[in-house]
Amino acid sequence: MSTAAPTTGRDTAASAPASTNRTGGRRRRPSPLTYLSSLHWTSLLYVAPALAFFGVFVLYPIGISVWYSFYDYDGLTVGTPVGWGNYTAVFTDSQLRAALLHSLVLLFFYAALPVCVGLLLAGAMSRIRVYGLTVFRAVLFLPQILSSVVVAVAWRNLLAEDGPANAVLRAVGLGRFATSWLGDFDTALPSIGVIGSWVEYGLCMVLFLSGIVAIDRSTYEAARLDGAGPVREFFAITLPALRPQISIALILTITFALRNFDLIWNTTRGGPGTTTTVPSLYVYQDAFQNRMLGRASALAIVLTVVILLVVVVVQLALREREGPRRRFTGPRTPARKVHSS
Amino acid sequence: MKSVRREGAGPRRFVPVAAAVTALAALAACAGCSPPGAGKSPAGANQLAVTDPVTPAQVADLGEVTLRMWADQAEKPLMKSLVPAFEKKYPNVKVDITYKSFDDLVATVVNAASGSNPPDLFEGNIGYAVDGALVKAKLVRPLDDVAAAYGWITGTGASTLAPARWNGSGTAFGNGNLYGMSPISEVQGIYYNKAQLKELGLKPPQSLADLEKDLPVVKKAGKQPIMLGNSDQYAATHIFSDLAVTEQTPASIRDWIGGKPGTTFVTDGNAKAADTMADWAKKGYFGSGYNGLSNEDAVTRFAKGSGVFFVGGSWNGATLDPEKFGFGALTTGGAGATASPWHISASSKVTPAAVAFLAALHTPQTGQKILDTGRLPVVTDGVKGGNSLQSQTLDALKRTIAAGTQVGYYDWTATDMLNVMGGKLQEVMSGRTSSSAFMTAVQDSWRTARQAR
Repeated sequence: MSTAAPTTGRDTAASAPASTNRTGGRRRRPSPLTYLSSLHWTSLLYVAPALAFFGVFVLYPIGISVWYSFYDYDGLTVGTPVGWGNYTAVFTDSQLRAALLHSLVLLFFYAALPVCVGLLLAGAMSRIRVYGLTVFRAVLFLPQILSSVVVAVAWRNLLAEDGPANAVLRAVGLGRFATSWLGDFDTALPSIGVIGSWVEYGLCMVLFLSGIVAIDRSTYEAARLDGAGPVREFFAITLPALRPQISIALILTITFALRNFDLIWNTTRGGPGTTTTVPSLYVYQDAFQNRMLGRASALAIVLTVVILLVVVVVQLALREREGPRRRFTGPRTPARKVHSS
Repeated sequence: MKSVRREGAGPRRFVPVAAAVTALAALAACAGCSPPGAGKSPAGANQLAVTDPVTPAQVADLGEVTLRMWADQAEKPLMKSLVPAFEKKYPNVKVDITYKSFDDLVATVVNAASGSNPPDLFEGNIGYAVDGALVKAKLVRPLDDVAAAYGWITGTGASTLAPARWNGSGTAFGNGNLYGMSPISEVQGIYYNKAQLKELGLKPPQSLADLEKDLPVVKKAGKQPIMLGNSDQYAATHIFSDLAVTEQTPASIRDWIGGKPGTTFVTDGNAKAADTMADWAKKGYFGSGYNGLSNEDAVTRFAKGSGVFFVGGSWNGATLDPEKFGFGALTTGGAGATASPWHISASSKVTPAAVAFLAALHTPQTGQKILDTGRLPVVTDGVKGGNSLQSQTLDALKRTIAAGTQVGYYDWTATDMLNVMGGKLQEVMSGRTSSSAFMTAVQDSWRTARQAR
């Protein structure tokens, strides 16, 4: 219901249409009672099907996980309550700490790198007029659509000892660096990271490109008249204007990085040794192999909370401050009206 | 685009909403906060006693019914020939089989069995993760009466029933009531490429000593001695167990796998086997990229001619050309085990039909079909191999069962054993950890699992 909070007329145009017509009336500050009766119950009717779906398939399972996490439960026989035992187990397990460290390394590859690459590509594309942009966008977005099992199998072959990656290295005289990328203790984690970067950069780029389209061309012209080069232009106009898109991209990629399971399961299963284990691998093993649903749930809940915290931090860090935003609102507003109509 | 833009104003609203949602969810689920699983009543009211083999008339009394089954997809070729014959003999029964990959089956079958509408006949897996859970929750019917009525306990293959015997609480296996039956057995050993051996002037190895003499010769000739794909972490544990079983009595390994108190993994034999693995890896007998290669890919490569030897088991035989490859056991019999047992649901409404199907799996005729479809039967009376590779594998199995070296698989002993042992063995083979650290870690995992039961 938070979407119905008071906003400027311009912004409401993009929010739920059901509440749009009513905002005019709410300017007169109705009492809380009228507020509830006039607005919320009718709009609730509109979202009721979605809310029911959300409740059954999202909220209820989350609730069940929270419930299980306080029990020693095998999914079959009656569980025994263990209080916070499962949570202390999660925080004292040295294997899990190692797994969390691996996740941090993956954060760089799954989130930081794709955002940088995406920015670079989008920045370049904003300057050059690319023919067949839609085709490019679709092709570069492809990794995001592919099933991760397909991605894993394909990369397993690409990075195999006799695979194309090593063939290229040998062809350019770097044969001594050729190795079984996913099977080597030192290279397995970064190799999985590279796969993640490949999956995510297309998403980032498409997000940024769509953000760039919304930037008024005249700002660029103005900057050029003032003598700004391509680098200055990128940092002064493109980058600040893309702040919301960067925030979204980071949220999506960080979530993907921290809960990633399928890529790792289908490439290394956490090996060699335990060099590529991540928390979600242990969630799977505890839940489906070890039948310790309580501990698996506790770990999953902790993981969810960690992801939420990181997302909140990112949102706060990239929050739009009024100051820098004003600078660009002026010339941009008329153009945006043209776009939205 | 503008809706995206508005996200910037989100966090302050987002935090309380997220908190409220979580609290609400917890509240919704924790109605009354009784322990999970409390509402379920154990099934098992439907205990029809079987004293004689089930007759078609008894099955016909059920009326028009469907026998619902869950099976490993590896059973498909066998079922294709078995089901039509069964449906002909019992015309009122329609057989409906859901096939799953082994990984998927093991991960989901216990939940399916505990659901409100469980399959009547399904495959589990030996060990605590699946069979133990099924027995503990009383989801499967004891089969002692069936085994007695059909003579399974006295005929060939009687000893292969042991891993499906459990104590009533599902905390120890190897003895006790019978809860499952597998018509299929497995034997571990070594496959060799006939042409390559001939080219190198070598004879098929008959023992570990033979193999140790051959490996440097192959390496010197510039070929890869053993094809290994260990990215799934389990292939190397099979090689390890082949070595370990030559270094100590099979019975001691079997006791440890069964969870017998006072047994340990920290033995001279295991240390020697682990050191040999490290030594072979160091000398390059497995090639260099084995940790990045899946077992499946390794078998494919071996079938296409790379590598002179492949250490695996009878389950790999189906993909190999019998003209080009031979099989031998490295030990007096070789290690091996019974495959996934079949179980009858304790709440099945068509128990006679399920018993009849189970009995049809345990006949010499089915045994022949099992061998014909590339696997090894438990009932070997009169069963003949169709080619040299099949005969060699069958011989190895018969000798294994006779010698009592069917020790089972290490992962039966604890649900996470495969990960612990597989991961640590990778470290041993790369020289990152010692054989003693490997053994200690495995023993720790074994002890933890025992204490949790």
